Amino acid sequence: MATSRSTSETGWIAGAYVFSGRPDPTWPIPPNIGEALLAIWELLPAVGATAAPPALGYRGVFVHDPEGRIWTAYHDLVTFGGETRRDHECRFERAVLSSAPSGTLPPITAED
Amino acid sequence: MALRITVDIFSGRPNPVLILEGPEEKEALDRLRPERALRGREARPLPTSTLGYRGLIVEQSGRATRGLPKEFRVANGDVFGEGFAARPADPAFEEFVCGSTGPIRRVHREPDLSEFILKEIKRLDDLRDRWKPGRPDWPRRERCRCAPLYEPDWWNVPAIQPFNNCYNYGCDYRTDTFAQPGRAAGAMYTAFSCASVRPAALADDLMASPSANNRCPREGHLVALVIAPGYDFHWFRKGRNGYWSHKPGSTPVTNVDNSGVTIPDPRTANRGPYTQFCTFMVVMHGHIKIN
Repeated sequence: MATSRSTSETGWIAGAYVFSGRPDPTWPIPPNIGEALLAIWELLPAVGATAAPPALGYRGVFVHDPEGRIWTAYHDLVTFGGETRRDHECRFERAVLSSAPSGTLPPITAED
Repeated sequence: MALRITVDIFSGRPNPVLILEGPEEKEALDRLRPERALRGREARPLPTSTLGYRGLIVEQSGRATRGLPKEFRVANGDVFGEGFAARPADPAFEEFVCGSTGPIRRVHREPDLSEFILKEIKRLDDLRDRWKPGRPDWPRRERCRCAPLYEPDWWNVPAIQPFNNCYNYGCDYRTDTFAQPGRAAGAMYTAFSCASVRPAALADDLMASPSANNRCPREGHLVALVIAPGYDFHWFRKGRNGYWSHKPGSTPVTNVDNSGVTIPDPRTANRGPYTQFCTFMVVMHGHIKIN
């Protein structure tokens, strides 16, 4: 399994904030999925809220693009560059989670 | 000569104060005239430092009336001064003063205040029956003079936060390597279980302290190991203020649990999937080596 310390490769990298002691799981995603995530982001309306995940356990997903920019999402809120947008259907988060190779994510990811 | 009576009831706002003079003062002193000394349980202490009504504080200006202290408290129908406890001629003196037709009506405009005070007088009666005098039950949260300060702003920055995990934070040791128990000693854990992570931490020279029971050590600081069985481990650390904080993986340092409340004891905190409490351990500053 790749780790959050191994995300310096060029290309799109996704991951989930789920562990505490061990490194969080990360995985490469194809450019077309990365572009699809970017398209989702572009259509989302801005909100003044900030995500408030629990302290421990599943705390959202993240995506690095080839330029090192980072998007994070937790349920219906997606954040990039200090701006948060509402994703009512959680499409961004679900797209990232569904891109994870089988066995990458632990069952506790789904318990939240 | 005058009688100053303070209704000792409020905490934030000033207590009502009334001054009785002339016939009113005489009537009040007649009602307060001691009939007999209190004996045994009758003279038990009044509840102190409680919220709500605590009695009437009576101060006599000029010479004190014979038989009464210069300053005394009327509560529970009785009169209490320094070395003095007596049953007065009118045990309903408080109700007389504070009732809707009593002298207090002159010093307030709130229509319900009399009713409120009368209820409070009754509450004090009930409370005194249950009151157990003794040392105040101060908060027992232990302060840990050797423990690290809670300084989330130091950890929660881009150059540090993503590269240091709960083990780094628990040990108060920045490595920027997402430190793993046992890795520095060549004895890294092999499973996400207490039986595997605990000896790995011992190999890093953390000290076993299974019976710490949430008490601060004389030296070093206390940490706690919890396990998400089969998936992960997590560490909390006890801070100088006696409360616990933690750094969930690459995410920010926090001092609340999964219920959003501060953590007096990690054994009882809402820990999400980290359902197994493994053990307390002690980090001796400068002794450990983690990576």
